[in-house]
Amino acid sequence: MNKEVEKMNCLDFKRLALSDPNSSEPSFILHSKNCPDCLKYVGSIRKMDSDLSSSLDVQMPESLMARLELNQVLQEEQKSSSKFRQYAIAASFAAALFVSGFVANNFYGSNSTIEHDYQALLAGVVEHMNEQPLTPVWDSAKANESVNTHLANYDGNMKMKFLENLQFSRLCPMGRYVGLHASLETPDGQVTFAYIKGNTVEDILDASYDGFVTRVKPLKEGNLIIISRTNNALKVADEQLEKAIYWET
Amino acid sequence: MKNSGKEIDSDQVNYDMMDKKRKYALLIEAHSQDLYKYALWLCKDKNMAEDVMQEAFLRAWKSLDSLREAKAAKGWLFTIFRREHARQFERKQFDYKDVEQMDTIADGNMGYDDRPEAFALRNALIKLPQEYREPLEMQVLGGFSCDEIATILDISSSAVMTRLFRARKKMRQILGHETMPHLGVVGE
Repeated sequence: MNKEVEKMNCLDFKRLALSDPNSSEPSFILHSKNCPDCLKYVGSIRKMDSDLSSSLDVQMPESLMARLELNQVLQEEQKSSSKFRQYAIAASFAAALFVSGFVANNFYGSNSTIEHDYQALLAGVVEHMNEQPLTPVWDSAKANESVNTHLANYDGNMKMKFLENLQFSRLCPMGRYVGLHASLETPDGQVTFAYIKGNTVEDILDASYDGFVTRVKPLKEGNLIIISRTNNALKVADEQLEKAIYWET
Repeated sequence: MKNSGKEIDSDQVNYDMMDKKRKYALLIEAHSQDLYKYALWLCKDKNMAEDVMQEAFLRAWKSLDSLREAKAAKGWLFTIFRREHARQFERKQFDYKDVEQMDTIADGNMGYDDRPEAFALRNALIKLPQEYREPLEMQVLGGFSCDEIATILDISSSAVMTRLFRARKKMRQILGHETMPHLGVVGE
């Protein structure tokens, strides 16, 4: 054994092997070359590490990758909207067109594109949100009173049960549509939803859109569009709305 | 994680010349998969892992100008993620299930390897005390060196070495691999 190896005995080697099995210390490397028992020992530790890493292997969802990429688009839109609102609106249209080609991955399913009718509804609501970034927050009594007043004007038979977390509601133009625009506060963040009367979409669509997680679903004689930053918030809001919205016959 | 000086210099020059969009794209391309693996393991819930990841990357985008060196990107990103995870954890107080249940969920919903050997390894890792488990997760899942882990956890390198030593020793004991005599560490 040469001088370097003598500096590290088997006990020291095994200590270092447990702390850093891929250590590049020359004495560690030399010792492993000259001591079969220690080489075997560090080999078993490296294998444990490798097996542990493999046991935790998972593939990142493509929809998440798309949402991460959209962060920058969204941030830039927000930044520019304060200075050049007219350019921001155009940008959101462009982003919507760009995004719809590849981002519309359903986080529960596998939609590869957003069909025109879904896209038009989403673009209308998101464009409206971008135009009105500071949605007011009302107390729930005012918001609930307001929502039923608006619904009486918009669709006489449509009602909504009292929602403690309802923050705002108004009838608004949203793209080519006019509909109910409202927001809910959930533990996972704010959720915007819109009910727009008209031709219903065929089925529920969950999609990433313009940095948001979204759901479009047919509801009676119109469509409910729910928009959030997180899957959990969207899910909570949808369950609430499912129970709260009803039609008087 | 380790590069020669020449490679680092070259990477740094290229990084400095990139615009913010390209830097961000590179960050996603290079580190999102590793971070997701770490995130899912830490959160034990797909939705939460995705939410924390998205929020962490949003914060990364906002403060990307403060990242001066390309080679520090991974550690910087993991630090942002850990802070965001801690912030959301404090806020929500997630309902964690027991070990057996978590593995069942993992197999069913999270896409982990469901062979018994993989089960055993994940269970052994879960059974480690938090302070030992954390640096081991970073070394094995994130590929960080001891010095990098020390920076992220804000502890000394020797403390990291001690924790890693104890983590692996305990893992081997749980898995029935440890038959050798007691190996003490300095200061133990």
